[in-house]
Amino acid sequence: MTKKKSEAANEDQTRDTKKKSVSAVKSSQKEKPVLAKQVKSSKEEEDLLLDSATDSDYDGDSLSGSLNSDDFDSDVFDSEDDASQKETEGGDKDSSEDELELHGNEDSDDDDEGEQVDSENDEEDGSDEEREVAEESDSSEDEVAPRNTVGDVPLEWYKDEKHIGYDITGKKITKKEKQDKLDSFLANMDDSKNWRKIYDEYNDEEVELTKEESKLIRRMLKGEAPHADFDPYAPYVDWFKWDDAIHPLSSAPEPKRRFIPSKWEAKKVVKYVRAIRKGLIKFDKPEEEPNVYLLWGDDSASDQKSKHLTYIPPPKLKLPGHEESYNPSLEYIPTEEEKAAYELMYEEDRPKFIPKRFTSLRSIPAYENALKESFDRCLDLYLCPRVRKKRINIDPESLKPKLPSRKDLRPYPNSCYLEYKGHTGAVTSVSPDCSGQWIASGSADGSVRIWEVETGRCLKVWQFKEAVKCVAWNPLPDFPILAVAIGQDLVILNTELGTDEEQQKIEELLRLGTLPEQDEAVAAIVSWLPDETYGGIKIKHFKNISYVDWHPRGDYLSAVMSAGETRGVVIHQLSMHKTQRLPIKMRGLPVCTLFHPTHRGMFIIATKKNVRVFNLQKRELAIKKLETGLREISSMAIHPGGDNLIVGSKEGKMCWFDMDLSSKPYKTLKNHPKDITNVAFHRSYPLFASCSEDSTAYVFHGKVYSDLNENPLIVPLEILRGHSTSSNRGVLDCKFHPRQPWLFTAGADSVIKLYCH
Amino acid sequence: MDGGGEDASKVIHVKFVTKLDSPFQVPSSSVVIPSNVTRLGLSSIVNSLLTLEKHEAFDFLIDGELIRMSLEQFLLAKGISAERTLEIEYIRAVAPRKEEKPSLHDDWVSAVDGSSSRFILTGCYDGLGRIWSSPESCTHILEGHSGAISSIAFVNSEGAENVTVATAAKDRTLRLFKVDTAESGDPTTRVGAYKILRGHKASVASVAAQKYGSKICSGSWDCTINLWDTDEATSELSVAGKRRKGNNQAEETQLEGEAESTFVGHTQCVSSVVWPEHDVIYSCSWDHSVRRWDVPTGKESLNLFCGKALNTVDVGGEGSALVAAGGSDPILRVWDPRKPGTSAPVFQFASHASWISACKWHKSSWFHLLSASYDGKIMLWDLRTAWPLSVIDTHKDKVLCADWWKGDSVVSGGADSNLRISSGISIS
Repeated sequence: MTKKKSEAANEDQTRDTKKKSVSAVKSSQKEKPVLAKQVKSSKEEEDLLLDSATDSDYDGDSLSGSLNSDDFDSDVFDSEDDASQKETEGGDKDSSEDELELHGNEDSDDDDEGEQVDSENDEEDGSDEEREVAEESDSSEDEVAPRNTVGDVPLEWYKDEKHIGYDITGKKITKKEKQDKLDSFLANMDDSKNWRKIYDEYNDEEVELTKEESKLIRRMLKGEAPHADFDPYAPYVDWFKWDDAIHPLSSAPEPKRRFIPSKWEAKKVVKYVRAIRKGLIKFDKPEEEPNVYLLWGDDSASDQKSKHLTYIPPPKLKLPGHEESYNPSLEYIPTEEEKAAYELMYEEDRPKFIPKRFTSLRSIPAYENALKESFDRCLDLYLCPRVRKKRINIDPESLKPKLPSRKDLRPYPNSCYLEYKGHTGAVTSVSPDCSGQWIASGSADGSVRIWEVETGRCLKVWQFKEAVKCVAWNPLPDFPILAVAIGQDLVILNTELGTDEEQQKIEELLRLGTLPEQDEAVAAIVSWLPDETYGGIKIKHFKNISYVDWHPRGDYLSAVMSAGETRGVVIHQLSMHKTQRLPIKMRGLPVCTLFHPTHRGMFIIATKKNVRVFNLQKRELAIKKLETGLREISSMAIHPGGDNLIVGSKEGKMCWFDMDLSSKPYKTLKNHPKDITNVAFHRSYPLFASCSEDSTAYVFHGKVYSDLNENPLIVPLEILRGHSTSSNRGVLDCKFHPRQPWLFTAGADSVIKLYCH
Repeated sequence: MDGGGEDASKVIHVKFVTKLDSPFQVPSSSVVIPSNVTRLGLSSIVNSLLTLEKHEAFDFLIDGELIRMSLEQFLLAKGISAERTLEIEYIRAVAPRKEEKPSLHDDWVSAVDGSSSRFILTGCYDGLGRIWSSPESCTHILEGHSGAISSIAFVNSEGAENVTVATAAKDRTLRLFKVDTAESGDPTTRVGAYKILRGHKASVASVAAQKYGSKICSGSWDCTINLWDTDEATSELSVAGKRRKGNNQAEETQLEGEAESTFVGHTQCVSSVVWPEHDVIYSCSWDHSVRRWDVPTGKESLNLFCGKALNTVDVGGEGSALVAAGGSDPILRVWDPRKPGTSAPVFQFASHASWISACKWHKSSWFHLLSASYDGKIMLWDLRTAWPLSVIDTHKDKVLCADWWKGDSVVSGGADSNLRISSGISIS
């Protein structure tokens, strides 16, 4: 204990003292030969003296070798010894003498108990003995140089030799002649000191133990400290310095908790006990399921094989029945007629196996299809790798979007009850008046007609020389006039359906007095003329007019000339008899135009590819450009709310734009197989429609919510059929009744149909 | 148990009863008839019992319901036991037995009134009203309108020598004519209006006269119902100075009248008005409603919602309380406003193929009504069966108007410009 403590604490001290210790050892070495004289023969001692005097280096080497055989402890011990030497000079001599004595005793003891103690040591390790000696004989003991210098080699090597080794000068040390056993025994018996003699095998000599040595051995055998004056119960000297330690060890007494059972453990145990009681922890092993399976059953579900990733069970063959027997009962054998009937059948319908009868197994011929079937099988394997088909198990109904039922979206037009017949050519355009009492229509035969919606009676006919392209009823209820596009002319017709006062106003309006001066650019393309035949106004344009639209206030109307390119859209003001060109620059060929229903200055122009929204008052570039992605726009209509726009195209697609949402279509509906000719919104009901050259019209529910977060709801409702195709054209126009959920369709078959709810 | 035996076993004991008079009464003893006979078989049985020289068609009623299938099916459907003696009432079949010659007009016949037993009134798209004393004999022509006549009505038809006629036209006016019925009408006399009623801002769609009164009401495309006074004297006082300016010198002598009151409530064209009682006007409109108006207050007292634009309405039936209306679909609906808490129609007749343009209750029967449709057919209905009693399809185009005449005839006008009269309908 002390040794260790000192070691830990005084490591640096050992470094300092190392030199000293070495010198101390050297000084002690000088003394040791002198001391050794008492034991060794004088002659040898002289040699040693000479050697030590002459060759001190060698001596130091041997010493360091012995030191090395020890561990570092001994070195430290040495230094400690030195320290103790400094402290107690007086006691130094005594201790070294003691050690010497011990050495001598040891030698003699070896011989005495050779068979009892040494046998173990010898067997285990030859060098153990020396090491023990070195250890026990602390520092001062190793000074006695052995007579024999063979070193740490097994002595058996010299068993057959006459010498046992070499002395320090290299001379052979000859073995003593062995006494006869009987003589030696007798000699031993005679000698009273014989029990104290030990044979030193290494040096081949007998050593006599002194009284003290035997005493020492005795004490050791008892397990006591070898020296009588050693006090094992000496008071404890605490060499450790507690104050400056960085990691102080606690000198507190062991806490009580180290000695009482753990509460946490008790809790854990209780937990386990409860779990066992509840049956959560089971000790009996689960019963092993019997490893049996259905031999003839469907093995597709068997676990063993489905473990593999790509295991596909082969199709199960039907088990052979009686008819497959080589000698089946007679009822299985087909009769001749049946066989003949089989021959007449198609090969696929023919039964695969026709039972045959053989009297014995010997007479069964080889299977005739063996080669063919194995070839087929190879073909199957080669051409049809069996792959597991991944079938998605989804109810197709669930893939449909959740749309409200059509029944809940009533009313909507669904059946045709009324037809307006009278035109002789394809009806190109219809326009109901704002009260819903009349409808105007224009036809390719050059006539414009007004019909009574209620009865289907034609009230008025105007005949023109050219085909009518477009008719539009003025949106004001007290202003029943019609705008009709015929060739290059835009004719304003008085329908004479208003009251007398209204008629007066209209007549005044349609009377062309002195025309205001037009711009030069405008005058080049447009001229206002009175219409002689029907008493209206004729506005002559420089290109054919394709589309006419009224401003919701009824004073302005726009005319579209598709061939007019950049000058293709003009706006006429009826009250001023004036025409304006668009203040904006346009790209592409205009197809149709719209006045915004709520925002006064907004004007929407559809060219063949795109739709642009302009503000006429601000004369800016397009406010918005809607990218339709369509090949060729044919028509468009705007929701009465003004935020939603539908655009029909010549490829049969219809786009719904939520202009607040994005410039891309909110939804694209592809319904018609042929060109869409027109699209229409209902003024009050949530309905919109499209009509197409495929002589159908589609009616949709299109609800626009006032909540801006909610997207418009579009539900297809009805396909309206009934028109017949004439010269490859179908339905040319569709318009909703302004107040009822009814749809007017104008067909190329010269009929206008009214579809009611 | 073969089939024949089974057939023989299915016989029913029946007893024929009737409310008809002597030539059509059968002995009141029960007879055994096979169960699978239909109406035709029953009719022939009764005919054989009656031993009439001329075959007569009958209709049969069991527990107030007309038989329209085989007797066996009928009993099964109604859950009537065939064990006891069944009492079958028979009536003469309601069907026109005679078709009068059509009276050709110059244009579509848009209005007809048969409320007077002496005359038939027709209104035409050429703007003329006509009075017919019998088929093919037009006694008077009522002229003056510049637009098509949409509706025509007798103001006071019975008794007096001078008959007042009101016409409504699409030129936004109503005109009142006085016709002296004593005139022979050979050749046809032309009559001008004695009073022009202006006030509607759009075409007048319908006119109806107060029973035993001097007022008329009219429904128009301007969504209003106007009440007018036909009295000569009062109108002269009220609008003495008002003369029509300009166009027609001849009309300068005419009186002009203004609306006495206006009922506002409909949101779309008032397509038809009827005035069945002194203080009650019924109207129907394209705004999908039938409304009842209280004349003194001008408030609406009933609003039946239909869901379809309505063209015609009539009130009649049991207690003159049932409302029949037809419109922009092929279904003729009958409501009973006395039924509390429901606005669902009590009867729906759906045999037409197109819009219904007219419907009229029979004046004396509780069960019978007629409907005219754009599919060119006039159908006679009995509330006791869902099938039409008979179909008159003499018109070649849309039927625009129809009415009962003299209780046993149906007069109708249509887009084929004909007034057709189907007579010999026996309604007891």
